[in-house]
Amino acid sequence: MRVLVTGMGGHLGTRVAQLLEARDDVEAVAGFDFVPPRRRLSRSLFKRIDPRDRDRLVEFVRGFAPTAVAHFGVYEPGARMGVRASVEASDDCTVNALGAAVRAGALDRVVVRSGLEVYGRGGHRHEVPDEHAPLGPTTPYGRICLDVEAHAAGLARRHGVPVAALRFAPISGSRAPSPLGRLLRLPAVPVPALADPPFQLLHTDDAARAMVAALVRQADGAFNVVGPGAASPWQAARLGNRVPVPFVGPGWLVATRVAELAGSPVPPHVLELIRKGCVADGGRAESELGLTDLVPTQEVVADLYAWASVTALPGSPTVAAPLRGAG
Amino acid sequence: MPDALATVRPAVPNYGIDADRVGGRDSVVAAAKRRWEGRYAVDEFGGDPHLQDFLFAPVVGRIPVHLEGAEHLPREGGALLVANRGPMFTEPFVLSGAVQRAVGRRLRLVGLPNPPLLGVFAHKLGGVGRRAGDAAAVLRAGHLAAAPLAMQISSTSAGEAPRPVIAATLGFPLLPVAVRPGGPGGVPLRPWAVTVGAPLLPPDDTEPGDPLAAAELAEQVRAEIAAMLHGARGE
Repeated sequence: MRVLVTGMGGHLGTRVAQLLEARDDVEAVAGFDFVPPRRRLSRSLFKRIDPRDRDRLVEFVRGFAPTAVAHFGVYEPGARMGVRASVEASDDCTVNALGAAVRAGALDRVVVRSGLEVYGRGGHRHEVPDEHAPLGPTTPYGRICLDVEAHAAGLARRHGVPVAALRFAPISGSRAPSPLGRLLRLPAVPVPALADPPFQLLHTDDAARAMVAALVRQADGAFNVVGPGAASPWQAARLGNRVPVPFVGPGWLVATRVAELAGSPVPPHVLELIRKGCVADGGRAESELGLTDLVPTQEVVADLYAWASVTALPGSPTVAAPLRGAG
Repeated sequence: MPDALATVRPAVPNYGIDADRVGGRDSVVAAAKRRWEGRYAVDEFGGDPHLQDFLFAPVVGRIPVHLEGAEHLPREGGALLVANRGPMFTEPFVLSGAVQRAVGRRLRLVGLPNPPLLGVFAHKLGGVGRRAGDAAAVLRAGHLAAAPLAMQISSTSAGEAPRPVIAATLGFPLLPVAVRPGGPGGVPLRPWAVTVGAPLLPPDDTEPGDPLAAAELAEQVRAEIAAMLHGARGE
C-alpha cells in the first residue's frame, strides 16, 4: 500500500504517518501540507506545499502514484485559520489531491476526514444520529465536511474506488490545537443558561487509529467515530475547576467577543456544540472498524485539563549562564 | 436478520455511577459536592444518572405497584417496552418505578415532551426524543426504553402502537406491558397493576427496518396489551 497523507503537517496527519510507517503492509508514505510535520517521521516523504497551489500539488501526487489516500486536508475553522480560508483550503486540497491521485492510475481506496457537524443540530434533526440520519449542516465547518464527502462520493461513483468518510466527534487531546480545547481551558467558560446539552469528544490518537483501521480494511461508506459516553458544558467546566458563566440569547455575542479577546476564537461549530450539543451513534465504527477501545469522552476532557495544569519550571542557571554569555 | 444485540457497547466510566442500573443515593451534602466538582457524567442522550439517582429514582420508587411478569424483564441489554397510556402521562412513571424495583435498571422514556427548559430536565431524568432513530440508538447503547401506545381517554384501553419506533428497533426484544390503576373506575387508590408480557420478536428472516414486519409486530403488541387490559377487567 502506497499511502498519500494530505494535511500531513497537522497533529493528526503526522500521527497517522507515524502509525503507517510502523506497518509492514505499507510500502511507502508521502504527504504534503503548508506547515511541516509536528513529530519526527522516519520513512515518510514530506513536501511543503500550499494545498491551493494546484500545479505543485498535482505534480507531487502524480509522481508518488498512491494506492491509498488518507485525506486530512480538511481544515477546521478556528484551529489554524479563519472560516473563509478554511473553506478555500479544504475545497482546493480535496479537489486537487483526490483528482491527481485518481489520475495517477493506481488508487484503490480513499478515507476522508469529516465531522459530526454534517448532521447539524436543532429543528427536526436526530438527537443521536447514526450514519443513515439525514444530513443538514448548520455551520460552515459542517458544510466544509459535507462538500468533502460529496467530492469523495463523486470520485467513488465515477471510478469505482471505495471511499470511507470518518465523521469524527470534535478531536481533542493534550497537545492537539483545537478551538474547543482552548475555550474549555479559559478560566471562565461560557455555558448555556437554560440548557446543558451533551457533547462527545474524540482523542487525537483514536482519530489517527480510526484512519489507519479504515485504510487497512478498505472501508466503504460513512462512520461516526466518537468517544464513548458524553460530557456537558456545565459539567466539563466544573471538572476542570473553571467558572461556568451562563449566557442566553444575544449574550452569546458578548461571550464570543470576550473569549476571542482572551485568545480563544469561537467558530460557529464550537458555539453550536456548547449551545446545542454534538453527539452521534458510533456503533458502526466499533463493529466494522474494530474500534472497541476508544478513550471515553470524560477521559478526553480530563486529559485536556491535565495538560493545562502542567506548570512551567524555572530555567536552570547552569544552562542559562552560557546563553547569556553568548549573547 | 442481523443480530442487533451484537452492536451493544460496554459501559463507560461514570465516576462510580452506573449509567444503566439505579445506584445508591448520595447525601445532600455529598451530592452538592459532587456536582460542584463536576464528578458526574451525562450520556449521549442527555441523561444524567447522578441526578436520576438523586431526584427521580426516590420518587418513582415510592409509587405503589403490583408487578406481574417480572421474569420477562431483561437483566441486561437493550429492550423496548411498549405500554398503554392514559390522558395524564402517569403510566411511564409507574412503569419506570416497577422496572426499577424489579430489576434495578433505569428506564428511558421515549417521546417525552421537549419544551424549552422543561425538556432539558426531562432528558436529564431519562427522557429521549420522539424520533425513532433516537430510540434505536438508546437500545443499541444497551438501555431499556419504554414507548407509549397512542394516548387514550381511558387509561385502560390500548391505542395505536408506535410503528416507526418498532421498525427502527427490530431485532431487540419487544415487551408488551399493561399498566392499570388499582382502584375501581381507573382511580389510583390502590397499588397500580403492571403486567409484562413475553418478548415478541419478528420472524428470523426479517430485514432491519422492514415496514411490513414492523406493522405486524405493532398490531401484535397492541393486541397483546389490549388482551392483558381486558383480561384484568374481566377478573
